[in-house]
Parts: sequence; C-alpha cells; structure tokens
Amino acid sequence: MSGQAATDEAGNAAGVSEGPGRSLSAGLASAAADNWPTLALLAAVLVAWEALIRLLQVSAFVVPAPSAVFRTLAAKQTQLLDAAWITGGEVLLGFFFSAITGIAVALVIARFDRFGRALYPLVVLFQTVPKVALAPIFILWFGYDLAPKIMLIVVIAFFPVALDMLAGLQSIDPSLVALMRSVGAGRTEILRRVQIPHSLPHLMSGLKIAITFSVIGAVVGEFAGASAGLGYMIQFASTQLDTPLVFAALLEVSVLGVVFFYVVELAERRFVSWVPRYERGHR
Amino acid sequence: MTSEATTAAAVIGERPGAETASAAVVRPHIHAVGIAVEFPVRRSHRRVRVLSNINLSVPKGGFVSLIGPSGCGKSTLLQVLAGLITPSEGEVQVAGMHPVQASARRLIGLVFQDATLLPWKNALDNVSFLLDVADKSRPRREVRDRAREMLRLVGLEHAAELRPAQLSGGMRQRVAIARALALDPEVLMMDEPFGALDAITREEMTAFLLEIWERTGKTIVLVTHSIDEAVFLSREVHVMATNPARIIETMAVPLGYPRNEDTYAEPAFAHAELRLRRLLKEGHRTGHRQGKPGRADGAGKAER
Repeated sequence: MSGQAATDEAGNAAGVSEGPGRSLSAGLASAAADNWPTLALLAAVLVAWEALIRLLQVSAFVVPAPSAVFRTLAAKQTQLLDAAWITGGEVLLGFFFSAITGIAVALVIARFDRFGRALYPLVVLFQTVPKVALAPIFILWFGYDLAPKIMLIVVIAFFPVALDMLAGLQSIDPSLVALMRSVGAGRTEILRRVQIPHSLPHLMSGLKIAITFSVIGAVVGEFAGASAGLGYMIQFASTQLDTPLVFAALLEVSVLGVVFFYVVELAERRFVSWVPRYERGHR
Repeated sequence: MTSEATTAAAVIGERPGAETASAAVVRPHIHAVGIAVEFPVRRSHRRVRVLSNINLSVPKGGFVSLIGPSGCGKSTLLQVLAGLITPSEGEVQVAGMHPVQASARRLIGLVFQDATLLPWKNALDNVSFLLDVADKSRPRREVRDRAREMLRLVGLEHAAELRPAQLSGGMRQRVAIARALALDPEVLMMDEPFGALDAITREEMTAFLLEIWERTGKTIVLVTHSIDEAVFLSREVHVMATNPARIIETMAVPLGYPRNEDTYAEPAFAHAELRLRRLLKEGHRTGHRQGKPGRADGAGKAER
C-alpha cells in the first residue's frame, strides 16, 4: 500500500516537472545556481582558515593553510595520482563485489522464506561487528595485497545494498502479487518480472551508500597494511609530520568519493528513469 | 415507464449473451454455497470469522454488486470468488470449476481499487503484461495486437506509450481494466475500482464500465460502497452487513438497460436507492445489536 502511495506522489512530482522548456542544460544551469550558496560558503571557510593560520602563525605540521595544501597538491601531483589510481581500483573492485553480495543476499532472503528468516538476523548480527577491527585479521588471512582490502570493503558495503534491495523486493503491492498468482505465476516468476524491477530504485539508493562506504573501506584497509594507495600515503605522511601532504591526500580521497558517488547517481537516472524526478525534464 | 422498460428489454435481447442469461438461471456462472472464512488471530489460538454462511449465484452475463459498510467482508468475498482466498467452509464454482482452475484458464479478470500498474512499463506493455505471463505459448506479436485492441476499447490508444506516472487516475484505472479484458475473461471481478477517483471521473468511469459490459457481455461482480454506483450499474445488488459479515438481502434493480444519465432521474432509480439505503441502515443496526449470524441463505434462495 505504501508503495502505491509512493507512486502516486511520484506521479504528482512528474506533474510538477512537466513545465515547458526544462531541458538538460537548463537543469545544469539551475543546479549551479542552486549550489552557489554551498560554493560561497566553502570559499568563505577557506578564506577564514587561511587568515586564521596566518594571523595566529600556526605551524604547517599542526594545521596547514589551504594554500600550503594546494602547493603540496601541485608539487606531488604524480605521486598523489598514482596513489589515487590504486585506491580507486580497490574501491571499484570492492564496490562491485559488495553489490553482487548485497543483491544475492537480498534475493535469497526474499525468495526462500524459511532460509531467509534464518539468515536475516545473522546478517544484522554481522553488521553490528565493528568491521574496522576485522582489518588486521584480513591482513593475517589474505596478506598485504588487494584481497584483504576487497574483503574489508565487501563486509562494510554489502549491508546497505542488501537492506535497501530487500526493502524494495518486499514493498511490492499485495494486489499485484494476487494478480500475478491469479494467472498462475510462481514465486520465481513474480520475483523476476515484478519484484526485481520494482526494487531497482531502492537498490540504486543502497548502491549510493555502498560506494561511499567502499571509499572508507579502502582507506581503512590501507591503514591496516599496505605499500601503496592514498590511505597508505596518509599514514606514511603523518608519521613524517608532513601534514600538508596528509591534507592533500585526504582531499584526493574525498574527490574520489564524490566522483564515484555521482557516477552511481548518473547510472541511477539512466537505469531507473521511470521514477519521476522533480528536477528532471518530462520525457 | 412501461414503454421504457420494454424498449430496454428489446435492447438487452440484442446483446450477445443475453439469451444465455435466462438459461443460466438453471446453471449459474458463479455459484457459492455456504461460504465461511476464518482468519487466525495473531498471537493467539483464536480464529476470527470474517464471513459466514454466504450463498450467492450470478448468472452468465449478469452484473452484480456487493455493497456494504467497510469491514463487512465484501472484498474478502470477492477474493474467495476469485480463488485468491480458500474459504474455511463452503464451495465456490466459477464457470463450473474451482475458481483457481478458472483463474488459471484466464476466465477471471481482476481489477482493484489501485490500478496496480507497473511504473516502469508504458500503458501498452502494462496491458499486455498479464496476458504475456498467463499465456506463454502465445506469440509476442499477437499479445501486443490484443493489448492494442484493448487500449482502443478503453479509449486510450493515444496514450499507449505513456507510463503510469504520466496518466491520470481515471486513465490508469482504464489501463487496469484493459489489462483484465486482455485475458478475455468470462468474469470481471472488481474491488472498488473507482474508489480512489474523484466524483466526476467516477461518474464518467461508471458510464464507461456500463458501456464495456454492454459491448462485451462479460459477467461482472463489482464490490462497492457507493449506493449510486450499485443501483446504476447492477441488475442485482447483494447487501452485506457486519458483525458477523453476511448478506442480509438481495435486491433486484427494477431498471432496464441501456441506462444513461437520464436513468438517475427515473423514479425507479430513486426508489431502489432509498430501499438500498434503508437496508444498509438496518443492517448496520441489527449488526451492532445482535451478534449472531443472520439468515443469509434466504437471500441466496431468492435468486433461484
């Protein structure tokens, strides 16, 4: 029932976006216009930060000024990009396996009632284990290579995928299930033709959370033991008291996270285009 | 009045399936005997009785409404007739077979209060969807052609490419009706199909449904809580009451077909409405005062 209500609301939203002349470029322009307060605020913070550091003569290894961070960023460009390349690869691979695992767990729980009821509490229990604490164990088991980082990302990031997809699979209108059953459709066919498509918007929001978790997982994995990557670089630089480099690497991690996030969001708009959006043009 | 009734009767005679209507008195299209439904109460061993001793029969090509207050079990009864709920007692036959069997043979078309369309499919694909699931041996093209034909029937051929979010509530419900009709069922079972629509669209859809019925000759069972709708559409109205849920009366509507907006002004219409209103009120009262089953079987016998 709530699902139906949601579609009704979505319908209204589509009605709003039906206004004439809402092209993509106009949408982008309005997005920039909408975001100018954020940009202005960011600029103000940076200026205040720079001014405070200079006024109070804070040493660069305690808190570097933004200008110092940008200088380091420029000076160690290749080093930072190499590290970002490695961490980015870990994030993508880890995210991929998180998505697969999360989707598989959700499908199993939704399809097999009895097993699902047994599995679900265990998945929740597993989620309450502090995953960061598992990092040293994964290093112990899988060595210093890619494998422990991927494993860590998967245990951190599969959960939002599984939970959101499951919510999508289960929020189906009971009348629709009745309709399918009335013409002789079985559980698997209902799952395939109705529940899975219905769950895709939910899956996409789970994936958006998972991609940000994946970035965290990769950095934590590198902290626990690595010889390359942005996480490794942050840790190494902090032991050298090279705080500007720490900040520069942190900035790269954030940029990486934001870029990946918007890639997933772009995919969402493309693949679940039937969910009407307020800001998007009508058809 | 008499002349109107005879012309109406003449028109009914022309409808295909109307001649079977008289024959169906012997063998009804939908037949339910002694239906009772009980649901288990959560966290207890008790069972709550939501329907008791329901007898009902609908002739082929008939238009029958189930009317009653919320919670009187009219939706449950419809689901029993459609084979979606197995009754605790009693037996149902649709077209001479078990409703689940009838449903699997695509003899039953269902329409709910919410259109329950798939938001990721356009109107045409929504119409073809169920037929596609029901009959996998049928070629895709044939299914699509059939869906297109049904969209034309409900007057939405121009909206084939639109998704549900781009359709109005009334249009969505037309798509849902087209989807049910695409199965070419013998029986159309509708659970408050216009309940979520505004009054104006609702009246438009009521007239539309009557037209569909007159054109296709399907047997229609309509669950409603609108007195207007029940009288305007049905040949027979089963009045239900709560506590316990039962049929307290079966009323034949003394109006011929075709019916149109003039029908609302006929004295017979007003009379039937008044009678229905009184029955509902009475059912409400007795239901609250005496908590024991009424004689619902009398209603069933009245039809034969």
